[in-house]
Amino acid sequence: MLKFQNVEKRFSGAASAALDAVSFDVEKGRICGLLGHNGAGKSTALGIILGMVHPDEGEALIEGVSVQRDREKALPRVGAIFEAPAFYDYLSGWHNLKTLAAYSGGVSDKLIEETVEWVGLGTRIRDRVSTYSHGMRQRLALAQSLLPRPDLLVLDEPTDGLDPEGIVEFREQLLELRDRLGLTVLLSSHLLSEVEQLCDEVVILRGGKKIYEGSVDGFDQDFALFRIASENEAETIELINRLGGRVEGSRYAFPKTVDDSELLASLIQEGAKVSRFSREVTSLEEFYLRAGDSKLNGKGAVK
Amino acid sequence: MIAFLRLLKWELFRLFARRRTYIGFGVFLAVELLFLFFWTREKSESNMEKFINRVAGGFDEYFSALTLAFLIVAFTMFLLGLVFVALVAGDILAKETEDGNLRLILARPVTRFRLLVVKFLSCQIYTTVLFVFVGVSAFAVGVFERGWGGGFLVWTPDLKQPSIFGWNEGVVRYFAAITAFSLIYLPVTGIAFMFGCFRIKPAAATILTVAICVADSVLAAIPLPAFDPYREFFITTRMKAWLLLLKEDIPWYQFAEQSIWLVGIGLTGFVIGWAAFERRDIKS
Repeated sequence: MLKFQNVEKRFSGAASAALDAVSFDVEKGRICGLLGHNGAGKSTALGIILGMVHPDEGEALIEGVSVQRDREKALPRVGAIFEAPAFYDYLSGWHNLKTLAAYSGGVSDKLIEETVEWVGLGTRIRDRVSTYSHGMRQRLALAQSLLPRPDLLVLDEPTDGLDPEGIVEFREQLLELRDRLGLTVLLSSHLLSEVEQLCDEVVILRGGKKIYEGSVDGFDQDFALFRIASENEAETIELINRLGGRVEGSRYAFPKTVDDSELLASLIQEGAKVSRFSREVTSLEEFYLRAGDSKLNGKGAVK
Repeated sequence: MIAFLRLLKWELFRLFARRRTYIGFGVFLAVELLFLFFWTREKSESNMEKFINRVAGGFDEYFSALTLAFLIVAFTMFLLGLVFVALVAGDILAKETEDGNLRLILARPVTRFRLLVVKFLSCQIYTTVLFVFVGVSAFAVGVFERGWGGGFLVWTPDLKQPSIFGWNEGVVRYFAAITAFSLIYLPVTGIAFMFGCFRIKPAAATILTVAICVADSVLAAIPLPAFDPYREFFITTRMKAWLLLLKEDIPWYQFAEQSIWLVGIGLTGFVIGWAAFERRDIKS
């Protein structure tokens, strides 16, 4: 569905490249998270996908059509939501949608009404946007992104500024859209828990470079982490090393294929006085923070 | 074509839905009423009477609604028209870029060229609507003060000799000249639009345009023979071409030449702006 091919971008006056030979793919029907700290290149990547930023090298392909070469053919079935979407405040929500729909080749009033109802703006859609709360603007943003009946949704910090209820509602709406319409979604967010809950895969950018691309379940694919406490710690560590494990901070890393109960049985059998034993699941947050550590670069998780 | 007209329709809808779009209309109306106040004072009217009796021979006949409307338009339009046309043309793209509205539009399958053409055309339509409004309201003010009918005396320092028309022909000439004036304003639209395409604040686009036009006007008005060979190349000199339609015998060739020159300046502004905007990265 979306191919981001070997894209390079350097803004004039910037010391380093905003994007440095970055490539990634998003398959149809998948939700892909785009992660990175401020200045990592996320917004530049989204800008290039939507044809707002010109890459120095490379291109973004949507359904095989280059956005850079033919944006009119590449973007008709793409919807986008930006962080703090700027609507025309002096117009009503309805007129904003009509205006934006005109740029998508026109959309029937019936479809707009259905979309407005679905996002829950039915009663306020004829009011001026200047009277809308942040949450309502975000609903309007979702509505406008759905008007082109998109196959691909590009979301830049879509839940930024929303209250917890709003975030949960947005997440449910997005999953419903994916399940009902088979939408492909590229989601840029700072909220790692949100990405973890929503996304099938993530791309992590750091300093304009891609440092990870893959499944959200695949972070700890090289090793499994265990938290083990024992009354005879020195002997236990020696034992762990013998069983193929190693110290990883305050935890112990074993090959991912290790069986939890077999490992525990072996430790006890070999004389470790185990008082605590649990497998630790690597969260996206933990992985993301580790990914910032250069030690991770070049290891298995980095693609 | 239908898609293009749909875009134009919504662009115009947005333009005319903004309150600031109407500032120009309100200001012109206020200035027209102020002019009426001054022109109809006893001292002013007595001076006008002497002047009209000298050039046309019949004050009551020729100090008509049309004559009064023309004077209002001729003496208010240049500077005020410049400010408001530059305000709208400089603002239409730069403000949307600054506010972030443009990102929502540019995420859609529309080329930047098409977007700019729609916006540029909207500016020109706004200019024509504004000028026709000024023409009609000045005419209404004139009719209110001087009544319906009478002759039409046209004189400004830029016309070598006064023109005199009957009522019917005067009405046609008056509105034709006003409409032509709005089209002749294309260089102002083009220059302001060009600046609006650059990475500058909306107000800067307006200020730069006004500054260029005022400087052009000042240079063109310097009464030194050294400037004479170049006077015709100043934009504001050429923009007086609308007055040619108020000559008794219209010099069509001269009018066409001036108009083409001015349209060329306006379109050059558009092309430079488009080239700059096409290369720009639009980011939050």
